Amino acid sequence: MNNILLLEDLPEIRAWLKVLITQVFPDSHIHEAARVHDALGLVSAIKFNLGLIDLGLPDGSGVDVVAALRESQPECQSVVVTIHDDDDHLFPALQAGAFGYLLKEQARELIAEQLKRMSAGEPPLSPSIARRVISHFASQTRQQERPQNMPHVALTDRENEVLLRVAKGFTLPEIGVQLSLSRHTIADYVKQIYRKLNVSSRAEAALEAQRLGLFRR
Amino acid sequence: MQAPGGWRAWWHAAVPWLVALWVLVPSAVNAVARPTIAVSSAASSAASGAASGSAETNPAVTAAPATLLVIDTTLSIKLLPDSGVPAAAPELTKLPDDWAASRPRFEGTVWYRTGFDRPPGLGSQELLSLYIERACSNVEVSLNGHRVASGGRMREPVTRNCHYPQLITLPAALLQERANLLDLQVQGHALERVGSRQRAGGLSALVIGPQALLAREHAARLFWSVTSVQIISVVLAVLGAVLVVFGWLNRREVYLAYFGWLLLSWALISTRLWWRDMPWDTGVMEFLFCAAFAPVLALLVQFLLSYAGLRSRLIENVLIAQCVLLPATLLLAGPNRLFMLGSSWYALLALEVFAAAGLYMRVTWRRQRQDFWPMAGLISAAAFIVLVEFAIQQEALALPHIQLLQFTVPVLFIGVATRLLQVFGRALQTAEAGRATLEGRVRDATAEIERNFAQLAELRVEQVTEKERKRIAGDLHDDLGAKLLTIVHTSESERISTLAREALEEMRLSVRGLTGRPMRLADALADWRAETVMRLGQANIEADWRGPTEETDQLLPARGFVQTTRILREAVSNIIKHSGASHCKVRCAISERQFGLTVQDNGKGIPLEFDGKLDRGHGMSSMKHRAKQMQGQCLVESAPGYGTVIRLTLPL
Repeated sequence: MNNILLLEDLPEIRAWLKVLITQVFPDSHIHEAARVHDALGLVSAIKFNLGLIDLGLPDGSGVDVVAALRESQPECQSVVVTIHDDDDHLFPALQAGAFGYLLKEQARELIAEQLKRMSAGEPPLSPSIARRVISHFASQTRQQERPQNMPHVALTDRENEVLLRVAKGFTLPEIGVQLSLSRHTIADYVKQIYRKLNVSSRAEAALEAQRLGLFRR
Repeated sequence: MQAPGGWRAWWHAAVPWLVALWVLVPSAVNAVARPTIAVSSAASSAASGAASGSAETNPAVTAAPATLLVIDTTLSIKLLPDSGVPAAAPELTKLPDDWAASRPRFEGTVWYRTGFDRPPGLGSQELLSLYIERACSNVEVSLNGHRVASGGRMREPVTRNCHYPQLITLPAALLQERANLLDLQVQGHALERVGSRQRAGGLSALVIGPQALLAREHAARLFWSVTSVQIISVVLAVLGAVLVVFGWLNRREVYLAYFGWLLLSWALISTRLWWRDMPWDTGVMEFLFCAAFAPVLALLVQFLLSYAGLRSRLIENVLIAQCVLLPATLLLAGPNRLFMLGSSWYALLALEVFAAAGLYMRVTWRRQRQDFWPMAGLISAAAFIVLVEFAIQQEALALPHIQLLQFTVPVLFIGVATRLLQVFGRALQTAEAGRATLEGRVRDATAEIERNFAQLAELRVEQVTEKERKRIAGDLHDDLGAKLLTIVHTSESERISTLAREALEEMRLSVRGLTGRPMRLADALADWRAETVMRLGQANIEADWRGPTEETDQLLPARGFVQTTRILREAVSNIIKHSGASHCKVRCAISERQFGLTVQDNGKGIPLEFDGKLDRGHGMSSMKHRAKQMQGQCLVESAPGYGTVIRLTLPL
């Protein structure tokens, strides 16, 4: 089908992931990289449809690759593949524009299933991630001195509703039932939440950089 | 604070006025207002022959008992200087005899002769005295040809008795009942050659009367014209010394030093009023005292200017030049013009002082009005006194009984000095209070810094610990995690890969227990709910999870979260793997000090042979062990066919 970026430093895991991807997307072309530097080179040369990106790499963090993909190829989906399941590691990647995450040790079938769902536009959302997103937007609205040119990204009531329920421990299908929404609609909300998190985080980063004087003429 | 200060300042200002009035009123209406001596003027007898003319003009003669004899007519003869030869024939002279009027420019010796009878009405035992209010500069007295008293040296340097009243006891042995002959030899100076009219030659009226009565009069007179000046000089010197020391210690408050030196020098030049036997001739001394006024008044001008916060190099230079110019002009003009020139200089110096005072008043008016009126009172009083003094010197007014300028101006000075000391003392007090406040603040700040430092140190320890934990966690993930992961995905055996996966999960939980922060219990419940419901859902088991509805803010330590996660995970795994249940009910309850989780399935229960002894793969004992580690308990109730209930209770 398309070009897939696979960034993973452990050769065995990379080989294993490659097999798995080939199973899920049989006619895809997989570009492998073991380092952030190599991956960034690939990103500037090739147009990708999907990126599977490990976070902890010998020469840096996969978050940089996620950000580069988001910057130069907005339509490419970045999925974080990691051994870390805690939000401290995942949240920066999501802020940088990742669309979802996979835990490496999960069974092959489970990963294949989640990958399919994500490529179909159904990203996962855990309670701890949801709480981080909520507190992120809460701190955004608290900041009063927002410059005029900075877009104010706000969640809709429905998106907030979904987030709050996820944060309380309800699963996405459960919320769909509770709010009488289809699986697709719920997935769309989650996608919007990720997108807005990314836009808002980028604005925040720019603002922060401006505050620190990086953009000063 | 304001009101009493102002009042006190007014009082300072009022004192000189009171003094001035008290001095001037009696001197203006001399004879009437002084009741201490009932003046009786008797006609002096034989020698003069000028009989009772004054008795008729003086109403006191008839009113008072004739105890006092006032002699106001004498014969006088002046001697030529150096030769002792009479310069002219004897002449009749009215007393008081002011040489400047009766014998202008005369300098030397005058003999006065008069006669008197023993006053009637006095007992023969009554001791008689002669009281001379003023004999300038010195006098010697002879009674019936015998010298009975001398004021001191009659040759240069002549003793300066101008300010000293004389009381001479008339020896009873020499005294006759009638026609006593009294000779007075007065050594005096011409007005032109002295600095002040008070020290020009002259003789006041002579009073003869009972010793007791006259001694009182003499003592009072001596006190007011000499002793008071001495007392004031001492006070001035002490205050001056204090102010000089203060000025020395506070270089910025230079006016203190100026005023201190002013007081000291004023005390010094006041010696001319009471120091009788000076080392040099009268001419020299008069010159020195006159010249001394230039620096003294320069100090006053400098004080006023610096007190107003002004400073001018030009004025300073002019003042210094004046100190040289004044003696120079006096020297050039010669001793015979000392009074004229000295008076002019005094007038000029006074004008300078009042100009400085005017400048000072202007600045005060602008800056601190509460100082204005007291100072205005002081300065105008001083101006008034100076004017009166000039009138006296120019003979527009009679000589007063006390030293007007020498008495009142120091009083003014003392008032100002007191005010300065008061201001200084208050400033000192303020500074002291400020220092105390500052000290308190420094103490507070030090305590604050120490507290912060302690906190910082604590924080630093925490940070270091945190960093070390993170490092360990990172190592675990990177090394152990990567190897376990490789086993998970490369092992041929499903069993090994499952074990490795479980080991990885365990490792991650351990790391979380090692590094994690305490989390809200509500968040922990949400995480557990999401995981449990998802896992059961994937296994097609219906999940029914009900938790507390109200929000709580209780916290759960990372270790508690990790252990509970393990227990719950194990329980759910058992249900999925072994129970064959189709439904699972989870209930949680939170109370003040503990929380409980109940997991109930509708499966086939735990077979009897597994319970307790073997526990193959069910992990019941490890669940109980973990609960015990957290001072909680984990109860498992199961019967074949009735499902399993796990009750977990943990303290918070």
